[in-house]
Amino acid sequence: MATCLRRAVTLARVHQPSILSSSVTKCNFSSTSSSSDALIEVKPGEVGMISGIPEEHLRRRVIIYSPARSASQQGSGKLGKWYINFLSTQKWENPLMGWTSTGDPYANVGEAGLSFDSEEAAKAFAEKHGWEYSSIELSELIP
Amino acid sequence: MGLGLLASRTLRSARLRTTNFHHLRRSIVSTTELQNAEAAQAQAEPSPADLPPRTPLAGARVHFPNPDDAIEVFVDGYPVKVPKGMTVLQACEIAGIDIPRFCYHSRLSIAGNCRMCLVEVEKSPKPVASCAMPALPGMKIKTDTPLAKKAREGVMEFLLMNHPLDCPICDQGGECDLQDQSMAFGSDRGRFTEVKRSVVDKNLGPLVKTVMTRCIQCTRCVRFATEVAGVQDLGMLGRGSGEEIGTYVEKLMTSELSGNVIDICPVGALTSKPFAFKARNWELKGTESIDVSDAVGSNIRIDSRGPEVMRILPRLNEDINEEWISDKTRFFYDGLKRQRLNDPMIRGPDGRFKAVSWRDALAVVAEVINQVKPSEIVGVAGKLSDAESMMALKDFLNRMGSNNVWCEGNGPQPNADLRSGYIMNTSIGGLEKADVFLLVGTQPRVEAAMVNARIRKTVRATQAKVGYVGPAADFNYDHQHLGTGPQALAEIAEGRHPFCSILMNAKNPCIIVGAGVFERPDKDAIFSIVETIAEKAKAVRPDWNGLNVLLLNAAQAASLDLGLVPESDKSIESAKFVYLMGADDVNLDKIPDDAFVVYQGHHGDQSVYRANVILPASAFSEKEGIYVNTEGCAQTTIPAVPTVGDARDDWKIIRALSEISGVRLPYDTLSGIRSRIKTVAPNILQIEEREPAAFSYSVKPEIRQEISNTTFEAAVENFYMTDAITRASKIMAQCSALLRKK
Repeated sequence: MATCLRRAVTLARVHQPSILSSSVTKCNFSSTSSSSDALIEVKPGEVGMISGIPEEHLRRRVIIYSPARSASQQGSGKLGKWYINFLSTQKWENPLMGWTSTGDPYANVGEAGLSFDSEEAAKAFAEKHGWEYSSIELSELIP
Repeated sequence: MGLGLLASRTLRSARLRTTNFHHLRRSIVSTTELQNAEAAQAQAEPSPADLPPRTPLAGARVHFPNPDDAIEVFVDGYPVKVPKGMTVLQACEIAGIDIPRFCYHSRLSIAGNCRMCLVEVEKSPKPVASCAMPALPGMKIKTDTPLAKKAREGVMEFLLMNHPLDCPICDQGGECDLQDQSMAFGSDRGRFTEVKRSVVDKNLGPLVKTVMTRCIQCTRCVRFATEVAGVQDLGMLGRGSGEEIGTYVEKLMTSELSGNVIDICPVGALTSKPFAFKARNWELKGTESIDVSDAVGSNIRIDSRGPEVMRILPRLNEDINEEWISDKTRFFYDGLKRQRLNDPMIRGPDGRFKAVSWRDALAVVAEVINQVKPSEIVGVAGKLSDAESMMALKDFLNRMGSNNVWCEGNGPQPNADLRSGYIMNTSIGGLEKADVFLLVGTQPRVEAAMVNARIRKTVRATQAKVGYVGPAADFNYDHQHLGTGPQALAEIAEGRHPFCSILMNAKNPCIIVGAGVFERPDKDAIFSIVETIAEKAKAVRPDWNGLNVLLLNAAQAASLDLGLVPESDKSIESAKFVYLMGADDVNLDKIPDDAFVVYQGHHGDQSVYRANVILPASAFSEKEGIYVNTEGCAQTTIPAVPTVGDARDDWKIIRALSEISGVRLPYDTLSGIRSRIKTVAPNILQIEEREPAAFSYSVKPEIRQEISNTTFEAAVENFYMTDAITRASKIMAQCSALLRKK
């Protein structure tokens, strides 16, 4: 997610240096961006509406979280990222092969496809898609 | 070669400047450049200007007990401030550098025997074991020099010498510290040509599987057993290559925390027996949720594969369960797959259940509930109910005209007026500040194993005294048994007991009353005696509240917060309509024979035998629900797996039933019911925040009740089987058969 936005910024820089500032504003998703210097203003839920995502998926409840440190391993490489949990549990075991089937297009997006560097970025992403979100505080470690 | 390194360094810094990484990843370079003296010199040149400030690993918060005691050390050239007394390894962690380690664990004592954490310290002739070396002011620590790397590679070669090459069939494979670290420090070939050592496997019981040949003698499990779990079951036998971890004699590990050795084992020597060969860890999807098997609300991660819960692991929460969980929490998940109710069912005239549709089942219930008198309607919430469903049940029955709704475990006349009278006011983390404990009719070891672990931690760290009133029980720390009945309490309150002086001289006395007392007819008298003791010992002060109640079930605190209090304590004897929402420990003999019983729940447990209609509900792993734990901290479960069959969330069933019964509840979304909860008990919506009680017992009216002579009884008979899910679990049945203390 963050990478593709970054790419968008780079592209904007190459092609139209004048809208760079507005793209950056879009990147931060500050909803209070002043209309004077921003060419495009993104309202909550707007990106979801024009993206072609079926409407029932724009009214989801999602949970934003950052995985806690694993108790069974020392490594910390997977920590520090923020994810969106789409609360997708509509799964069943396929009777033919025993594989897991799902009818939810977001079922595998949460952990595998989307990650954010900060809680704010994840919240902004959920907001522009119009998802109702709540975030879970990260539990801290005392060394 | 030196140029190449410098170039990569400039490249890295340039990339950092543009992309603004928050977490700097330190790569462990396995190149020959490091062996080169010239390159090492280039490396040593400090260039802190072009790198962002380092953040502690995993977002750790650094706590300075005394700001004057901060010392400054240099880790790879970066200055970091650390509190005095920290080790070199902890200083490196604060600087954001992960030191490889096997034997060191932040919650256990330091052993220093694996030697993996070697670092180079300037002016030290040899590499030092950073886990055992205290950080000194001005110390210059170097973690990625050729010397440190070579030392660790040497250690790794010795460790791998006797370690079997069975990662493909090892359950730890993929989440193994030895595997990870051998990627960085292991050699691609071995120089060892002898026969590998092999060790006989030990039988530690039905929970922990051992493959002792994989053991690297880090002794984490031994230290965990003696220090945290408080059992002297594990130990080290033999010397040199004959060294083994074992139980001295053929013996099972009898601790309620034994499952944690699976987590702390850095290799595959100790793995989960029920999970053995069931799944690989990279196939699992982790969902961060809450445990409901006791009132502690331990933070857990539910690992699921497809529609199935595969295992449960602890999740870090310093205030509640640190990073441990009890065996019941860890292994009761197989109960989620057995004895499940998956369709609405109606008992026919022949006494057999027949599966029907939701519409038919709800229509039957609505018809009956509209025929009985409002005073004859009774609702009981179960041990595992979430706040939303209890709110819906209370609202529904109130709209039907009945106010006889309560939660099991709270006794006949629960006190819901004063919140301080039913929560743990000290908070679980706050127990560490206490210096004297008085346990009244409670056995924390079986009632709340994580609270017991905290008490044990305090007793171990500060030699806190523990007094206990209740039936003879097994504790894993030193305690004084003061008596078995309330008379002992009266003696303490009147100052006639020798324990009295210990309690009076305590700085932070902590009194814990068990929720088993709620069931006693003289509970008000007992609470008033306990309050007298608290007053004399100055246990309740503005800066310290040491008067606690330890609850038994996950639903209890929320039910009292929501005011689920019966109008009369004899209501169930005269009931014509009983709504059991997951209540399986109700005395079914009390229910009249002509009463119509609706059981709504997820397991076919005891109450199903009496039910006329069964409404299947979802279990805690399948729904989003708020639970308030014994210290008053609200937390929410997160669905991990789909519901079984045609089951629905508890509150949705009641909402649907209310509509069919003609008293439509005014909420139809989760946020709707939560805003209804907000008007009743706003503290329940403060997720992950502990809301302390506002008033203490001092505003209570005077009690004129005499204590009885009956002794306290154990509230939990069998630690492994306390609710519908654990009673359905096969693993818990094995544990009760093998490990239960007789």
